Amino acid sequence: MPGAPRADRRDFYEILGVSRTATQDEIQQAYRKLARQHHPDVNKDPGAEDRFKEISEAHDVLSDPQTRRRYDAFGPDFRQVPEDVDPEAFQRSRAGAGTGGAGRGAGGGGGFGAGLGDDLGGINIEDLLGGIFGGRAGRGFGPIPGADAEAELELTVEEAFQGGRRSVTLEGADGRRTLDVKIPAGVTNGQRIRLAGQGGRGSEGAPNGDLYFVVQIAPHPRYRVDGRDLYVDLPLAPWEAALGTTVAVETPRGEMKVKVPPGTSTGKRLRLRHHGLPHPRGSAGHLYAEVRIMVPAKLTDEERRLFSQLADVSTFDPRRQ
Amino acid sequence: MGYALVLVRSASLNLEAFARATGTHPDLVRRLVALGVLDAKLDAAGELWFAPSQVAVLGRVQRLRAGFGLNYAAVGLVTDLLDRIAALEAALREAGRQGR
Repeated sequence: MPGAPRADRRDFYEILGVSRTATQDEIQQAYRKLARQHHPDVNKDPGAEDRFKEISEAHDVLSDPQTRRRYDAFGPDFRQVPEDVDPEAFQRSRAGAGTGGAGRGAGGGGGFGAGLGDDLGGINIEDLLGGIFGGRAGRGFGPIPGADAEAELELTVEEAFQGGRRSVTLEGADGRRTLDVKIPAGVTNGQRIRLAGQGGRGSEGAPNGDLYFVVQIAPHPRYRVDGRDLYVDLPLAPWEAALGTTVAVETPRGEMKVKVPPGTSTGKRLRLRHHGLPHPRGSAGHLYAEVRIMVPAKLTDEERRLFSQLADVSTFDPRRQ
Repeated sequence: MGYALVLVRSASLNLEAFARATGTHPDLVRRLVALGVLDAKLDAAGELWFAPSQVAVLGRVQRLRAGFGLNYAAVGLVTDLLDRIAALEAALREAGRQGR
């Protein structure tokens, strides 16, 4: 449920993927499996930490038979309902009050967040929310820094070439957050762009982890990318390749004139020095125009005559060793 | 707010500074070094020195221990496996790029 506000959180049973009649063993099992999948050190997805916290919270409530009973009776706002409220009376009053605003007012509890931690059912809200890492099992540790997260950032060849800014939206517990990422000109495949402090949250004031965007250059209809070098096809007519010519080649910087020497065959690479992706601290990659000789799919009578004449006259055999 | 590529270079930390930076007891830090969970250099005077990157390593150890109730030896195994998986995934990504 990406981007949903915390107020209408998912049902704890749904989070753990178990039925409302699940045994304690089933709950444990579901929790262990999900925790292994979504632990922020195992799963680098920026949303994993929030899912892990959600899973841990669901487990904390459902694994204790007493809090589980209260959750079943009073729903997500069970912590606001005083201990001595009879579940059945609560249900009746809630039914009478209509459907909206379930529990609020009926239970007579204070506003959410007012002294929630200390008073009800022995549940400490710090353990549930803020202190997943620092609280319960982290005894002996002080504040724990947040985990680094990693996400892929797909860029076009043009974006990698020019650099610039890109707005990236990530899903999190507090809804979506939009980050303005500065893309340095000349980033290459696999390079990591670091956003300090944008990873997992640290506990008890410890620093947050960092968020890394791993650059992935999207397939381009014209360019192939290898490191900082770019490859582009250069289709030539047979006579252009044989006689030599000058043709225009599209580069990220605009059109360039390329001189094709006479006697150029398919596969030959014509290099345009430093016309590949720029290098922020070194020399730019090259652009290679790869020759591909093309023939007309259909010949006119005149073309057929001239090719036949060429075939009769020429002694060239490309298969001769 | 914009972000740029950041290059982090800072000096090594001695045991005391490292323990303070991570909020961990020096005895526990020594134990983690002995278990090979943390990397440290021993200088001629017998003092342990930690690269700044080890602060993040210890953070991960703490989170894994807290999240799964692992003991320190198991944490060492898990972090090694996670690093190997990360390297394999990076190689896989690279291979996928070249294959397309």
